[in-house]
Amino acid sequence: MKVSLNWLKELVDVNITIEELSTLFNLHSGEVEEYYNLVEATNLVVGYVESKEQHPDADKLSICHVNIGNEVSQIVCGAPNVEKGQHVIVALPGAVLPGGFNIKSSTIRGVESNGMICSLSELGIDKKYHHEEGIHEITVECNPGDNPVEVLSLNDSVFALDLTPNRADLLSIMGVAYDTAAILKTEVKLKEISLVEVQKSNPVIIEIDTDKCSSYYARVIENIEIKDSPKWMQARLIAAGMRPINNVVDITNYVMLETGQPLHAFDYDLLETGKIVVRQANENEELVTLDNETRKLTVNDIVITNGSKSVAIGGVMGGLDTEIISTSRSILLESAVFDFYSIRKTSNRLDLRSEASTRFERKVDPNRTLLALEMASMLFGKYANGDILKGVNKVENGDLTEKVITVEAGKINKVLGTNYPVELIEETLSRLNFKHTLENDLLTIQIPTRRQDILTYQDIVEEVGRIQGYDNLPTTLPETVSMGALSPSQLVKRKIHTLLTGLGLNEVVTYSLTSKDKVLDFVSKDEQHLLSEVVELMMPMSQDKSTMILSPIRGILESVKYNVARKNNDVLFYELSKRYTKEEETEVLCGALTGELSNVLWQGKKEVVDFYTAKGIVSSMLLELGLSHLYFEATNDYSNLHPGQSAYIKDRSGIVGFIGKLHPQYEKANDLKNVYVFELKIESLLELRRPLKKVKEINKYPSIYRDLAIVVNKDVEAQSIKTVISKTGKRMLTDIMIFDLFVGGNLAENQKSIALRLAFTDPKRTLESKEVDERVKEILGSLEKQLSAVLR
Amino acid sequence: MSVKEKLQELISEAKEKISLVQSVHELNDVKAKYLGKKGSFQEIMKLMKDLPNEERPMFGKLTNEAKQVITNYLIDQKQLIEDAKVNEQLRSETIDVTLPGRSFEVGKKHLLTQIKEELEDLFIGMGYSVMEGPEIEIDEYNFEKLNLPKNHPARDMQDTFYITEETLLRTHTSPVQVRTMLDNKEKGPIKIVCPGKVFRRDDDDATHSHQFMQFEGLVVDETTSMADLKGTLLVAARKLFGDKREIRLRPSYFPFTEPSVEVDVSCHNCNGKGCNICKGTGWIEVLGAGVVNNNVLEASGYDSTKYQAFAFGMGVERIAMLKYGINDIRSFYTNDIRFNKQFK
Repeated sequence: MKVSLNWLKELVDVNITIEELSTLFNLHSGEVEEYYNLVEATNLVVGYVESKEQHPDADKLSICHVNIGNEVSQIVCGAPNVEKGQHVIVALPGAVLPGGFNIKSSTIRGVESNGMICSLSELGIDKKYHHEEGIHEITVECNPGDNPVEVLSLNDSVFALDLTPNRADLLSIMGVAYDTAAILKTEVKLKEISLVEVQKSNPVIIEIDTDKCSSYYARVIENIEIKDSPKWMQARLIAAGMRPINNVVDITNYVMLETGQPLHAFDYDLLETGKIVVRQANENEELVTLDNETRKLTVNDIVITNGSKSVAIGGVMGGLDTEIISTSRSILLESAVFDFYSIRKTSNRLDLRSEASTRFERKVDPNRTLLALEMASMLFGKYANGDILKGVNKVENGDLTEKVITVEAGKINKVLGTNYPVELIEETLSRLNFKHTLENDLLTIQIPTRRQDILTYQDIVEEVGRIQGYDNLPTTLPETVSMGALSPSQLVKRKIHTLLTGLGLNEVVTYSLTSKDKVLDFVSKDEQHLLSEVVELMMPMSQDKSTMILSPIRGILESVKYNVARKNNDVLFYELSKRYTKEEETEVLCGALTGELSNVLWQGKKEVVDFYTAKGIVSSMLLELGLSHLYFEATNDYSNLHPGQSAYIKDRSGIVGFIGKLHPQYEKANDLKNVYVFELKIESLLELRRPLKKVKEINKYPSIYRDLAIVVNKDVEAQSIKTVISKTGKRMLTDIMIFDLFVGGNLAENQKSIALRLAFTDPKRTLESKEVDERVKEILGSLEKQLSAVLR
Repeated sequence: MSVKEKLQELISEAKEKISLVQSVHELNDVKAKYLGKKGSFQEIMKLMKDLPNEERPMFGKLTNEAKQVITNYLIDQKQLIEDAKVNEQLRSETIDVTLPGRSFEVGKKHLLTQIKEELEDLFIGMGYSVMEGPEIEIDEYNFEKLNLPKNHPARDMQDTFYITEETLLRTHTSPVQVRTMLDNKEKGPIKIVCPGKVFRRDDDDATHSHQFMQFEGLVVDETTSMADLKGTLLVAARKLFGDKREIRLRPSYFPFTEPSVEVDVSCHNCNGKGCNICKGTGWIEVLGAGVVNNNVLEASGYDSTKYQAFAFGMGVERIAMLKYGINDIRSFYTNDIRFNKQFK
């Protein structure tokens, strides 16, 4: 809502600047988006064109002699419409026009020019408000030397309120005046309405055949003269951001802006029947609206009819058939109240938002419906020379009573946390023009119908709070005593962050919406049925953000791609995100790694990420989380992972996650190379943790080490070698470390050699070499028997 | 030549020889030459048997003194040799300490996580618990129990991703507050913060993101007041933007709170004098808050005649953008490592 300061001043005394008023509105009413002067220009005067001659050297220029009050100035003008005998707007040398345009004396093609004759656009009045080509001819009475901004009533300031949906009352100058009066501790001066009716009676018959229209008031005005509205009214409309059209349209808009009550004028003759019937539209009923669009209606829309055909969509827009045109002579002026929800649905469905629908859908003041009709009728008498037929015809079912709210002053203070004396609270209510009584501590408050947003005592608390100013609130902290702590799962997630960042990974956050065809990219073949479980949006903004992810890996890879494309080649990412299905949301930890682990630039030593780096990082984290018992098992269940370099991460109870290299084809299709990914279910990590319960004694006796290099078939996994060794090694064997893998050389094609270091100890004594050798022999025996392993 | 003179001569000869020795090995040879079983002193001792008895003690004394002197020469020379050796080692091991160290890069948490954790820790310190909840919500918890019935005009304020008529991607973390109130069997006091991902049906651009992170708070108790809200938000604003910050509350509207306020923080860039970050006003809007609407309390089973509550909510991206001068909200989701790694 754009509020003209001049207009506001008609209703309430404002003795402060627009800037000060804006600040106060921000603190006490609602947000002021911006404030500005309607015309931001200096050094303008009214000039009288005494003569106009053709410029000798330029076809399109004229040389004008312009009386600017105390002298006659020579000005070269390029506008074709400048004529002798016009009053015009002159920007004198030294003037600054909007956009920082400086006016100077100059010589134009050899002719001296002392200023500029201006168009309205050059004063900053957007062309949409005046549609004028060329310079503006002032048609109101004025004298050379006058200030043209004042003459044209454009000497106004405007502040634009960004209204919240509750404050429908501020969609009117009257409503803004009431809040201004409350803030400035002054009174609203209501305008007197006096209209003169003619003898002839208002003949219109009104019927309401729907519960979505509570009141309908109408007057008929005859013999109107369609012409421009007065300049001052045009200026008010321009300040409010509305385009002046003609006196009829302008008056209805003007009154709507002042009162908040939308009005509609029908051509009474074109209405034909002298009858108004308000009803629900018929399904598929069609109506051509003022904007020349054919609107298809439903039974949920309200229509105004003449008894046989529709002439307007009630509360939203009038019909083209009964539009006021230059030849219109009589009008039917409507002021009605339509159901807010119905209007909202209709304007949403038709995507048709008008000034009227905006006001109706936020609820209008039912006590201004008749007032607006009378105010407009008075203006039709005055500015359209209309004959106002006798009487307002109406159907009036609206609730015009003022709601009553009771609240204890003590409760207001308790909610605000203040100690405002009851007198101060009463004074605040009086400033708002809320009638009230006080008994003991109990306030009984009558809520004016203009404040349809005030429904409970909490709204009264807000009124007191905001008018007194939230700056006056004390700053305290809640008295509630409680223990704050992270939950065990939150603590584990924090620990995961600490561990992975400590291991050199960077956290990313990616989008949870993806395209449906990518949602299964990192889902195992056993879980493909999840496609029917994915969460899809009813109305996605785009197909690539239509479905909730089953794994964030796809999104993390997008980030990897982004970085690699920008030569950020070393990317170690992780994310804590979710798998979303119709059934549930489960938290997952994912990562993607590629490039070098740590960039040691000058010493040439580089650790390029491979499967074992990725696995090592995951294992190190698992170890620190008390999950060292999880194990890795080769899998080829993931179609986008390398079948020879991927593994499930498991526990005896089942799968906890997976790790693997991207499939070469997937890498190729996505412009990626050597990327390793992993995913772990957070819930499983939490469940399977084995936190330390009791300290382990440090063995006092020395360990004895034996290194073995054995040769096995290539397909024998290290895990099975370790299992055989540890079973045979029994308690004496305390550790198995694999320290080398060798293929090629003199080994057969299908063979590999693995070197292991075994540690033996006994907590109670020093072991003897002999018994260790004995045990090693047994181990080698088992290895040979079970895995056909031989000592290298 | 008297014995004394002989010893004198031996000492000067030994001193000379010892001082020329360059290695411990050589030094041992020299030591044997003088003090060993076949050394010079053994030769001199042989002279003793020819001396008269009264001169023998003097002879012994002089000889021992001379031995001691030579021993000391040997010790000193050994020390010199060892020092030289160490010095040589140190010289050979000297490196250019200005060459770069081998870097062990520590990763970074995402900026959103950093700010979330900073806020969580602040509120935990004030006795709050951190609550999380589902991102796929039912309409009832996301809207209806928050005083946003189906026909409410404020639903236009938040364009929503619906999944079915009744399920949606949560548009705020407020449903977590609803769930916490519903789950509180005793209907007793609550002090929680709710961080998490939320979704709005917005086209992504520099200032809009269809996904972002919210951080909300709720306190329910018999005496919870708007002044408590103001005090709490002042603490949070100072934690985020510095000790010198002030806040101001401006009237606003949210269906779930009454009174509702927008909260501005005095500009951290210009200290409130006015600059381009605060658009010359000295204040920056950072969050929305208010006293919880009684309809919300009642919808979750709380007696609104007994309890009062306040709630607040902020966008973590917005906080981060203001704090670090980030111009494009999409930066948080692009994950350019050159961007992500800056925040420590």
